[in-house]
Amino acid sequence: MDAKQTQAAIEALTHLRNKICNRSSIFSFFSDSPDSNYNKLKFIVSNSVTESCNNSVLLLGSRGCGQVEVLDLVLEDLKVEYPEIISVVRLDGVLHSDDNCALKEIAKQLCSENQLLFSKMASSDDNTQFMMAVLREYGLAHKTVVFVLDEFDLFAQGKQRLLYSLLDAMQSVSSQAVVIGMSCRLDADQLLEKRVRSRFSHRKLLFLPPSKEDILRLLKQILTLPEDSTIPRDYVITFNKKLHNMFEDAQFKEILDTLSDADSSVHHMLNFLFVAVCNMNLESGYLSVENFKTALLSIQRPYKLESLQGCSVLELYILACMKRLEDKEQYSYNFNSVMTEYKHIHDSYRISDYYARNVSLRAFEHLLQRELISFVDNRGQNQSIEFRPVKLLISSHELLQGLKLYRSCPALLQKLMTGELNKMKAHLVDVGMID
Amino acid sequence: MDKQNSPQVTKRTTRASASTKPSKNTLPNQKKADHRPQSLLDNLVYGEQQAIISQDELISNFPGRKCQILELLRLFGPINSSLLPIFLYGGPSSGKTSIVLHIFKHLKRPFIYTSCRTCHNPRLLFESVLNQLLLHKKDSSNAYSSAKRCEKPADFVNMLRESLMEVVNSLRVNSRKSGLEESDEQGIGRMVYIIFDNMELVRDWDKDSVIISMLFKLYDILKMPEVGLIFISSNSPDTYHLNTGSVEPIPIHFPEYTEDDLYHIFLKTQRGPKLYSSFLDVVLKDSCKITRCIDELSTYFKLLFEKYCEPLSGIGRVPNQDLKSKLYMHLKPHVTPSLNEVFRVPSSPALELKENKEKVGKKRNMRSLGDGVVPDDIDFHMSVSAKYLLISTFLASRNPATLDAALFDSAGGGDNRKRRRKTSETSIQQKENAEQELLLKGPGTFPLERLLAIFQCITSVTDGVLEEEQQEVDVLGTEGGDNGLMSDVLLQLSTLSNANIIIKGGNCPLDGSSRYRSTVSEEMALKVARSVNFPLPKYLYRK
Amino acid sequence: MTPSATPDSPLPPSSPTANNENNLQPFFVLHKPIPKKSSRKAPQSAKTRRKIDLSTETHKFNKSEGVKQVEQIVDDHLYQQLRVEAFDIIWSKIEITIKEVLRGININVFNEIHQWVRKSFAAIRSTAGTLNSAQLTCPYPLTIDIDCKKIFTGLVFTKNVEFVDDLLTFNDLSLHLKSQGCHVVNLSSLDFSAKSGISACIWSLLRQFVMVDPDVADITILASWYNEPDNFNNPLVVIIDDMERCNGSVLSEFILMLSEWVIKLPVILVMGVATTIDAPRILLPARALHYLEPCKFALGSPAERLDAIVEAVILGTNFGFDIGYKVAVFLRNYFLRQDGTVTSFIKTVKIACAKHFVKEPLSFLCRGLLDEDCHDFLLQKCVLLPESMREYAFSLPSCEGLDKTTPLTGESLASGISEIVKLKKNWSSVFMCLYEAAKFQKKQVVDVLCEALDPDAYRTRGSLQRRVGEVIAKSHSVDPYSATKGSFIFQVIRKVRDLPMKQLCQLLQVWEKHSEEIAELHEKVKELQSLLKSEEENNGGQADVAVLSKRLATRSYMNIQRDKGKVYDKAALLLESMIRDYLKPIECVPFHEIICFKDVDILQSALVGDPRRMIQVDLLKSHKVLLCSCCTKGGNVLLPSMHDTSIMYTLAQEHGDLINLHDWFKNFKSTIVRPCTNAKGKMRSPSSKKRKHSIEPEDLTDALVQARFCRAVIELQITGLLKMPNKRRPDYVQRVAFGL
Repeated sequence: MDAKQTQAAIEALTHLRNKICNRSSIFSFFSDSPDSNYNKLKFIVSNSVTESCNNSVLLLGSRGCGQVEVLDLVLEDLKVEYPEIISVVRLDGVLHSDDNCALKEIAKQLCSENQLLFSKMASSDDNTQFMMAVLREYGLAHKTVVFVLDEFDLFAQGKQRLLYSLLDAMQSVSSQAVVIGMSCRLDADQLLEKRVRSRFSHRKLLFLPPSKEDILRLLKQILTLPEDSTIPRDYVITFNKKLHNMFEDAQFKEILDTLSDADSSVHHMLNFLFVAVCNMNLESGYLSVENFKTALLSIQRPYKLESLQGCSVLELYILACMKRLEDKEQYSYNFNSVMTEYKHIHDSYRISDYYARNVSLRAFEHLLQRELISFVDNRGQNQSIEFRPVKLLISSHELLQGLKLYRSCPALLQKLMTGELNKMKAHLVDVGMID
Repeated sequence: MDKQNSPQVTKRTTRASASTKPSKNTLPNQKKADHRPQSLLDNLVYGEQQAIISQDELISNFPGRKCQILELLRLFGPINSSLLPIFLYGGPSSGKTSIVLHIFKHLKRPFIYTSCRTCHNPRLLFESVLNQLLLHKKDSSNAYSSAKRCEKPADFVNMLRESLMEVVNSLRVNSRKSGLEESDEQGIGRMVYIIFDNMELVRDWDKDSVIISMLFKLYDILKMPEVGLIFISSNSPDTYHLNTGSVEPIPIHFPEYTEDDLYHIFLKTQRGPKLYSSFLDVVLKDSCKITRCIDELSTYFKLLFEKYCEPLSGIGRVPNQDLKSKLYMHLKPHVTPSLNEVFRVPSSPALELKENKEKVGKKRNMRSLGDGVVPDDIDFHMSVSAKYLLISTFLASRNPATLDAALFDSAGGGDNRKRRRKTSETSIQQKENAEQELLLKGPGTFPLERLLAIFQCITSVTDGVLEEEQQEVDVLGTEGGDNGLMSDVLLQLSTLSNANIIIKGGNCPLDGSSRYRSTVSEEMALKVARSVNFPLPKYLYRK
Repeated sequence: MTPSATPDSPLPPSSPTANNENNLQPFFVLHKPIPKKSSRKAPQSAKTRRKIDLSTETHKFNKSEGVKQVEQIVDDHLYQQLRVEAFDIIWSKIEITIKEVLRGININVFNEIHQWVRKSFAAIRSTAGTLNSAQLTCPYPLTIDIDCKKIFTGLVFTKNVEFVDDLLTFNDLSLHLKSQGCHVVNLSSLDFSAKSGISACIWSLLRQFVMVDPDVADITILASWYNEPDNFNNPLVVIIDDMERCNGSVLSEFILMLSEWVIKLPVILVMGVATTIDAPRILLPARALHYLEPCKFALGSPAERLDAIVEAVILGTNFGFDIGYKVAVFLRNYFLRQDGTVTSFIKTVKIACAKHFVKEPLSFLCRGLLDEDCHDFLLQKCVLLPESMREYAFSLPSCEGLDKTTPLTGESLASGISEIVKLKKNWSSVFMCLYEAAKFQKKQVVDVLCEALDPDAYRTRGSLQRRVGEVIAKSHSVDPYSATKGSFIFQVIRKVRDLPMKQLCQLLQVWEKHSEEIAELHEKVKELQSLLKSEEENNGGQADVAVLSKRLATRSYMNIQRDKGKVYDKAALLLESMIRDYLKPIECVPFHEIICFKDVDILQSALVGDPRRMIQVDLLKSHKVLLCSCCTKGGNVLLPSMHDTSIMYTLAQEHGDLINLHDWFKNFKSTIVRPCTNAKGKMRSPSSKKRKHSIEPEDLTDALVQARFCRAVIELQITGLLKMPNKRRPDYVQRVAFGL
């Protein structure tokens, strides 16, 4: 029995994981409401297909809010609706920001669309002409090319030759194309040159991160197991029941809130879900609130604090010295000045762990490696490290917090950070330990 | 970076020997294995079939890494379940790489590994990934060329997609087959994992971080749920300053080892655990205060442990209390110095003998000839003029240019006190902020002219000294070969800058724009000065 | 050349000019121009004068030497031919010996390194266990123990900041290791430059190991190459000549990369370190440093090498070529002061040798001295000598000592020369004795040699020793040598007296060996040894007695002391006598000029060429170089016909280190147009196309003058004498590297 249940649990797990990882399917959930981006976009594209006119649209919105996925859905559906007359060309700003290789890519994809032979040797001019020719052909054949430009802002970096030639080609009546740009910069269209912007129809679709309710609904929709599947039915039912109980749980709600406060984009939430699902205990075989709690912790990490915990005491001392220097309004300092400060501390408070210079230098290098501190500038490469000015990459608050969390942290070190030190010193003076 | 599995050194050897036999005789049948999935299985899955490590073994191999391993296993999940990109980070030698590798050894799933250190530019990275996917090995038969030439990220993505398609299909076929013949556990599944190690290095490759964002976006670009991406980096995700924010992969942190983790790890390396534990009790705490980087510690301990064992005959025996204390007393003096030295160089036995002899010889030498012969104790040869040049560079770097005139006056400075004292008095008030300056800026730079001027002064002063000193050393009248030290200063200059004693900005030594800076330490300079009887302290204005 | 010729050698405080210039030297460069111009002018002019002296002097000396009457002999074709041959033979011999000596010095270290390489290779293999090629070429790092992750690194200390010698040494090393079957590559700092980054060094690794030149520097290629069966069983040794000059970050990157392949590629680093043990620590960051498993080796210091060479070449077998006192001193000083490289030392010797054979008409005779019984060879050669040559030979300055009776025949010449050879033999054997004694106080062979070669020192010694001898005979109370403080030889003799017994024995044994050539010396040494033995014996005997009766023992002890003292005296006296009788500097022997090279100045000018000063001198004395008819007549006065650049430079002498462009231009213009004062009127004449030499000063347009001015300035800049005006002082050019 138990073995069977674990087996079922594993199956369920696999199912959920694959579902989460296949993102575009998830966004189909958003498509139902009438005024959803899905419908708007679908309308735009489809009527430019039917009306055989040119069109261009920008899909803006912070990353991971499903621009890509929604677009994919739209295009798939349209391909089903209008078979044979839509062909899609996908470009990505990360890969094709360079015009030549973008043109090359376009030519390549158009070739593969129409079973043509693509020659690697073709010059960018050839490719441009080829593209123009194909566009004309498409126009004549009343077929539509959809250019999908992901990371649109990156295309706007250089001379924008590609954008210009694309949009310019669309001015001619003969052609029939849709340019869809996607960017997470809301000012993406401001980046365009005048000549390009003038040719660009300023249709923009804004993708907002889902509201809390949507998220909750989305969760339900994702996590509930389908009753019609290979997974044993009774297991599925109990699983879903437990799930729904959990959704009502206040604790769970608050987890969701903290999550969406940090970053309410869908991708982020999917990551969260993924980890949570992975945490599912196969013995019990059901999701619990703890899974989500741990998931939240492992998704949202205090990076700086973590790396502070990794430091050795000596390294902490160095950080503290730098902090103290900054407190003294000495903002440009380097290893040597830190060392003098360190020595000064040693002299005045008789700290037990005071180490040789080159050991400290190595600790210093470790800090650089951890990127808790960094050089102020790249100048003076040939100069040795101890002379190059450095700066803290960690706020004094974080530092203090880190010291508090640090186990077996010397008491004096914490005192160094807080104001108490002066009192202590005064005390020492009174006792006469130091003059 | 897989240094922490020192623990399993003893195990390792056994496993290695166990593992190699089978893998040796897999080679031939791999040759006759004609259908692709078979060879794929051989190549992408961890090389050693027989060596399946159980989860417990895995965990016991890596003390203090239990939760990371478990978390990873959970994320990898059951077979054929897809994976969102994950990002392992943690300090060097915290066991990221080798744990991942061992997990794959444990899971027996196909994976591809590329280290951005070995593949030190984009092209290498791309091509090594593709080569592994296409089961291509560079060798003399193909003139050590890679399967496909690929430089642009765009091309990489296309090629990657194609070859992944093939691999995934063949895997699917294979797994279906294996699914037929035996239960799914034996199969290697239809997932392919790609590991990118040392991601932090990629940041230095391209300023506009195209490659980085491409790699992080790869999952979305490929849209292949059968591909799992694993990034390994020594820096946390927040140090990757990506443009226009990006999808963050799932982070997994490998924290530095805690003290008792280290304790267990080191204990596992040793065959005499009892003794070693007592040893660790002594040293570990203090050394952890300096560094928790495991391989630095191991270098410490290797030396210290030898010291520790000196009084003992055989390592094996169990130390009782008083013995421990005895050993401790024996060790104590060595601890702090060895902690405070970063890099020690043992000399080869023969050399050691020689050195000792020399030491003795030198001592006797000192005793025997009392007549004011200063043994110069720089242990490498420098021509006299080079020495003077070194001194003058040192002076030029340390003294403010404004004081030169005062220091090197008519009779060449030092020996008429009045002026010097006056100047030093005048310079008193600037002194401490000059000190501060020195701390911050380090040794100052100076143009060639200044150097030469100082050099001239020094030599003109001290040639006199040089003469009479020579007179006393030998009666060779110097008129014979005593050409001035001045004659080929530029050669000496190049010599010094070759030896990294001077750092030169600018290119041509003659165009005045190039400035120099001496990097030589003060004690070194003093040594050199002593070796030519030059009163350096008199000329350093701080003294 | 005399010290006064060089700006920085001390000048006798008596001469006033010297004084003031010594005073003002620092002001050459140190100071921004200060009002009291006159005082600053002085050094300039002094300087120029000094330079001129220098040049003229070298000329003068070339003229002198009284070589004139021999010239026709010198450039007698046949003999020239002979001399050249002689040179070739002799030099080749010398060169070979030098090579052998150097190899001999290094060989021990090389063997040591090789053993170490093997040991570390074995260590790597033992940790590797048995790996198959699949594992060795796998892209992922093998999971192994920390201690095995280390890269064995030999730090070879070259003990010399100059790395010239070591380039050769490291090549030899790689050859040596190759001969032992290791795979070796030589990398230099050029492969670790920041510009080309890590790729460069991997490329050259591949180039030298795999012999391929792939378009990407991929270390996996090396791995797969290494796994080919015939490469597999030997270590990969990577030699980096000069670690200090490498770019630290690239080097560390390289090390880190190797650490990823640590077992799969058993790479063993050998790094040459010029300066100190700290160098690697300073150069490399910690994270790279702790991958190294260092081991320290040391090459012979240049001084040792030098001694070895000198012993072999100048004292060892007779090469029929010898150097005079001054040359020796020059060599020594050059080595100590200018650059302490053996390479340059050898070069110097070679130059000396060549010069000798060029200048010395009779030097072709030297070739005969190579083989043992040279006499008859010499005889036939000398008999055949033409009259002029023979005359020349007997008119050599060294022959004044010759008594007039000797006939001026070839025979006597021949005998004279072979006499030299005999003397030389004894000389060197005795010198070795002396040197052995000197070794006990860490003297360098060169120093002793220099003194031994010094003729005047020889004479003074002669007189002095007599006195000293008596003194010693009288008592030891006063130290007779106080007079000769600083003289090596006397120091040595003195030291002989207070050597410990054991060392004395050693010394005597060595002497015995060396003195075999010379019969009577050999005898003396032998008897001394026997004496010493007897001493020791009855010393022992006495000791036994001492056990018996204390009083007796004490007395005997005293007289033991006395006789021991005697022995030492004997030894010292023996040494003295040796020196007196045999250590006759070659320059006191007739005909020595034929085989002995004495001419320092040539050597000096050849080595310490001091090109920058030469440039300046030539600029100041351009007509001496150009030898044009127009300018030679007016000595130092500037003529418009002189070359612009030299005019400009001469004018620049008037200024300090900062030259006001405007003044300079004015002076320049005035110099050019000086001859005709009424040039103003015709200034506008458009004929500015003409070439500089042809034009009369009348038709100089301002434009032309400016053009010439600019060109001259540029030329001066190109010669590296000027720095162009900077923003801070737009109207001033600055002199560069003034003192040079």
